[in-house]
Amino acid sequence: MRKKKLFYFILYALPLLVLPASLLIGPSESASFSKILEYLGYLTNPDKTGYSIDFSTLQTILFEVRLPRILLAFLVGGALSVSGAGLQAIFRNPLVSPYILGLSSGAAFGAALSLAWAFLPVQLSAFLFGLLAVAISYAVALNRKNLSIVSLILSGIIVTGIFSALLTIVQFLTDPFKLQSIIHWTMGNLHNTGWQSLQSSYIPILSGVFILFLMRWRLNVLALGDEEAQTSGINPVRGKLIVLVAATLATSAAVAVAGIIGLYGLIVPHFVRMLAGPDNRQAMTLNFVLGGTFLLIIDDFSRTIAGFEIPIGVITMLIGAPIFLYLMKKSNIGWED
Amino acid sequence: MVALGSCSTNSNESRGESKAGIMVTDFGGRQLNFDKPAERIVCLIESALSGFFMLGAEGSIVGVSSNVYDDNIFQYYAGLDDRIKNKTLPAPGNWDFVSIENVVSLRPDLVIIWASQTESIKSIELKGIPVYAVMLKSTDDIYKEISDFGMLTGREPRADSLIRYTKAELRKIIDLQDSSLAKKQKVYFMWAQGPLETSGTNSTVNELINFAGAANACNFPDEHLIVNFERVIDWNPDVIVMWYDANKNPEDVKNFPGWSNLKAVKENSVYEFPSVFLADLWTLKFQYAVKLLAKWAYPEVFLNVDLVKERELMLQNLYGKTEGSKQ
Repeated sequence: MRKKKLFYFILYALPLLVLPASLLIGPSESASFSKILEYLGYLTNPDKTGYSIDFSTLQTILFEVRLPRILLAFLVGGALSVSGAGLQAIFRNPLVSPYILGLSSGAAFGAALSLAWAFLPVQLSAFLFGLLAVAISYAVALNRKNLSIVSLILSGIIVTGIFSALLTIVQFLTDPFKLQSIIHWTMGNLHNTGWQSLQSSYIPILSGVFILFLMRWRLNVLALGDEEAQTSGINPVRGKLIVLVAATLATSAAVAVAGIIGLYGLIVPHFVRMLAGPDNRQAMTLNFVLGGTFLLIIDDFSRTIAGFEIPIGVITMLIGAPIFLYLMKKSNIGWED
Repeated sequence: MVALGSCSTNSNESRGESKAGIMVTDFGGRQLNFDKPAERIVCLIESALSGFFMLGAEGSIVGVSSNVYDDNIFQYYAGLDDRIKNKTLPAPGNWDFVSIENVVSLRPDLVIIWASQTESIKSIELKGIPVYAVMLKSTDDIYKEISDFGMLTGREPRADSLIRYTKAELRKIIDLQDSSLAKKQKVYFMWAQGPLETSGTNSTVNELINFAGAANACNFPDEHLIVNFERVIDWNPDVIVMWYDANKNPEDVKNFPGWSNLKAVKENSVYEFPSVFLADLWTLKFQYAVKLLAKWAYPEVFLNVDLVKERELMLQNLYGKTEGSKQ
């Protein structure tokens, strides 16, 4: 029992270590580790007269460039993981990701439209079309107030197909510069992040995550099936709708600022299930904490591993997928019980 | 199908005029032999199309890239060709997608296409149509392209004259720098895809910056790369140059994270190239981009260079028309 408590303590404390450590990592020579130590020395020394170095560039890099990016990476990772976990619970399916209802293709189409013709800001357009795609999937699947999971997944696949086709049309009609922007956007990246990106996304992301956190015990009941939920006094259609809306809100906002980060919302909930079991009361918080921390670590690699930026979506795929496959082969991932 | 000559892939023979007619080797090493100048050309590259207009060979063009009809450059081509103005010149493809059926239906005797469009090239060649593939990495490549087009259309003297004129214009800029520049300005080049998309030392952009007497802030060798905000802050460029972008202007640059303290931003040295047509880095209009950049980087040295006059002179020399006369 004590060991288990210590284990959870370490997991929950992980961001407290990784968040400040990420601030020390970056490609800039003006904000290298030794310069930051010097800066800390300057801050903690009451006698500032011995310092002749101008720290303004370092401050700009730390607080205008790195800090918003670090915070956004954490929020996006947390949002994708919590949303993935919530949707896997209500769909009672381990293959579900936050993109299952066409959100990613809708958002990609929205972003592409904006990048090609600039009728709306890119983030807003991606957000709105992401929501629209999920709304269409939901409306098509809803039949006489009944919500069949199979219908929902099928309509999600069809809506994904439609928006993918529309995206291809935009790509076909646009010029090489805009096409490249669209492709880079769909790869998922955080390199354009500033305080503005964070300001535009943190409210919907945190709202969605908070609603899912409040729903954590209901998710356990919904995961048992509609009849069991009704027996327990929970309206399954309403419960699923709340989870769906909250997950869509958080994911749409995350995708709008970071592009499509593939597989992440599918893989992290499985990791968490392996670590903490299927109980969503524990899993929702842990998904946010670990989802945020892992994406932050991946983004640290993305911005420092080479002289140029590597899209974060590519790294999540390259690192996450093999580890996930290995763990899947080695252990029970929590759905066989 | 009208094919004026055979087409082979022998890359060992040098280009020039063979005894039987015209012999040219394209950028993919493909050797083209023609008995007479091409008369029905489908040009799927917008910048290459400009070359044919400069040569006065627009009468041989029967198909163009759909990009010619894009908003930001249509007006220029409309001023050069009534068929484009009236939108009657077919556009069977562009730099990315090509309708083989539409290309074939135009009965071309030559297709100009990017060398990277390998699948389309294969399909067009299978229909027995000769293809000239283009890949431009330097100003020498631009000279080779116009020279080859001159041969393919029977307008070598005009091609030579255009190249001589462009080299002389560049020489004028270099001569002005030689006597005056004490310190090289550091230039950060920003592509339209985003503020962090730039070009390194092995690129046409690097050549452009060097011709203007400045130094590329990006010291990576890559032709195109995405850097990050803190890297640019480290470089602290003297001048920032934006590729033409309908959605952004130099004012937006100061809003990028941490960039408001950059020297270029503080000193209002952020500039944007005019339309893609006028400052095209992949045509002989490269010279105008060099002049713009030189004046932006060294306003005092190039004080007497009147950019509006230079642009009109360039258009007159290359196309035989000024901007005003085209519209």
